[in-house]
Amino acid sequence: MVFRRLSVWLALAGVLLTIATLWGARDKPAAPPPMEAPPHNPYSSTVAAAGIIEAVNENVRIAPPVSGLVTKVHVTVDDHVEKDDLLFQIDDRELRAQLQTKTDSLPSAAARIAELDIRLRDLRDQLRRLQSVKDQRAVSEDDVQRKWHEVEAAKRGLIRSRADLRLAQTQRDEVQAILDRLTVRAPRAGTILQVNMRAGEYAMVNANEPLILLGDTETLQVRADIDEVNAPLVIPGSAAVAYLKGQTDQSIPLTFDRIEPYIVPKRSLTGDNKERVDTRVLQVIYKFDKPNFPIYVGQQVDVFIEREGNIDHRP
Amino acid sequence: MNFVALKMLFGDRAKYMMLLAGLTFSTMLIVQQGSIFWGLMTWSQSGITNINAPVWVTDPNINQVEEIKPLADTAVNVVRSVPGVEWAVPLYKGVQRARLRDGNYEQIALVGIDSSTLIGRPHKMIEGRIEDLRAPDTVAIDQLAVKRLGGPDRMHLGTTFEINDHLVKVVAIVHAQKSFQNFPFIYTTYERALGVTPQERRKLSYVLASPVEGVNPEELARRIREHTGLGAYTEDQFGWKTVRWILENTGIGVNFGTTVVLGFVVGMAIAGQTFYLFTIENLRQFGALKAIGASTGMLARMILLQSFTVGLIGYGLGIGLATLFGLTAGSGGRLPFVETWPLLVGVGGALLMICSLSSAISIRKLAKLEPAVVFRG
Repeated sequence: MVFRRLSVWLALAGVLLTIATLWGARDKPAAPPPMEAPPHNPYSSTVAAAGIIEAVNENVRIAPPVSGLVTKVHVTVDDHVEKDDLLFQIDDRELRAQLQTKTDSLPSAAARIAELDIRLRDLRDQLRRLQSVKDQRAVSEDDVQRKWHEVEAAKRGLIRSRADLRLAQTQRDEVQAILDRLTVRAPRAGTILQVNMRAGEYAMVNANEPLILLGDTETLQVRADIDEVNAPLVIPGSAAVAYLKGQTDQSIPLTFDRIEPYIVPKRSLTGDNKERVDTRVLQVIYKFDKPNFPIYVGQQVDVFIEREGNIDHRP
Repeated sequence: MNFVALKMLFGDRAKYMMLLAGLTFSTMLIVQQGSIFWGLMTWSQSGITNINAPVWVTDPNINQVEEIKPLADTAVNVVRSVPGVEWAVPLYKGVQRARLRDGNYEQIALVGIDSSTLIGRPHKMIEGRIEDLRAPDTVAIDQLAVKRLGGPDRMHLGTTFEINDHLVKVVAIVHAQKSFQNFPFIYTTYERALGVTPQERRKLSYVLASPVEGVNPEELARRIREHTGLGAYTEDQFGWKTVRWILENTGIGVNFGTTVVLGFVVGMAIAGQTFYLFTIENLRQFGALKAIGASTGMLARMILLQSFTVGLIGYGLGIGLATLFGLTAGSGGRLPFVETWPLLVGVGGALLMICSLSSAISIRKLAKLEPAVVFRG
């Protein structure tokens, strides 16, 4: 009977143990809440897009007019520049030397003119004197004629030396113009977004990245990429909101600007030097007023575009 | 009468033990094998359950969770455009190689979760903060990775190792359900996962989505399938799809099924035979009962009471032993062992069937019994 009791109690214990174990492990743990609220779609039906912030007047990629050594960079990132402000200087020592040569040749040319001028006056005096003598025996016709030719030659010489001076001046101006070109100035007012060179570096004409990126950060716009599959769903003029990546509590209301009519291959922003193309996207441009929190050109945003009515576009 | 029946049962200690042992071990075998089977299935779904998202979006022809068919990057926004989506975030998932300080290599399951929301992160932290994943070149590793990649002495917060030649630093240790392939899980952000993995045309493994209030995940999955042409499954659907794939493509199902059937047959054989012998031995007593006026129905009830009593006790002991096995041998996730209610109920049913069938043989014998048997020597 002891054994009977034992077996019953053991069985009961087994059942209780199993129930307790299963009870302890019965619930699937709830998913942890998102660290940050995911971007929230405010519309009943929407077209979602990936966007990037850019300056309204597309950024200017400043390049050097000729390849050369950079000797001085006049701006730093975030500087505001007006039109024609100095940006950077390319090595101009050679041209400056040439300019000096050209400039120094000017006084010599000018002196030559003065010299020829005096010589001409002297010859004219001599000719006048010879002509004033009427006596054929004292001054021969031949002498007068020869002097006259000398005067004429001196006149031409003067003209040529004047032309020489002008040429020397033009040559100096040419060197000056080429020299001026080595000083790169802002083509328009804006803010320096990037400076990709330092004094002492060699600037190439067709470099991959711009030496200086100039943009207008006062008025920004959003370029939203929409998968070509969803392109027909975008109604021009529809409202939209954008959320900065990692800042989903504040939305940025957007106003429609335009749809870029050409569908472009999507650029995946992976930070790789080789960009992968996996699909094509429709680009829609939206304008917005600067919100009261910092926002930067080049920042990625999640965009939700309002869509009217039902969306069943598939057959 | 019932008292007499139980007295008869417990009276013969040797037979009672025999019966009990047969039923106990048969139950234990079925429950243990069934639990290990379900444990394996749980491990096979760990890629899904560890992420814990309501709806999974991927290629429409996908078979199971470990089979990655990457999508175009824009799929996230295509899914976001489907009505009823509260959020949709990208997920990277793939097997990569980790290189340790000492030069050893380990295969790892790399999981890249959305960097701002960290949706898909594990729910149980062991050490560190998962938010630190936002710092550059950081990863969170699971408890298996600590073991595999050199033990707690060499793998701790701040340790660095390489994934595909990219140096990463451990900022958190998390608890994750082991996977079928038994690769440790390494969590990082989606963008970093793209950075450390080799060039591929497409890398977005899955889009995780959640329905808005008022839409259930099944409905959302249906909508996503309809609107985008992509494959969308709820967590459960995807889990079952994975289980089905494993049952169809590996021998696991047949293997465990055979063991379970064997457990059933052996249990039945022992119980049936012992019970029959027990009845034969007590035939004289039953005859006496019949002689004093007990009907066959009453005797049948007695037999059933006896068999169900021993059956229930055997069941209790069996599941108790199986649970004990799970708690000891399978502790700390060493063994895939997951006991479930449906399994226990099923085994209970099977056991009652064993008892009923084995008592049926005895009842048949009793029905034919003549009271006169008492008086024959």
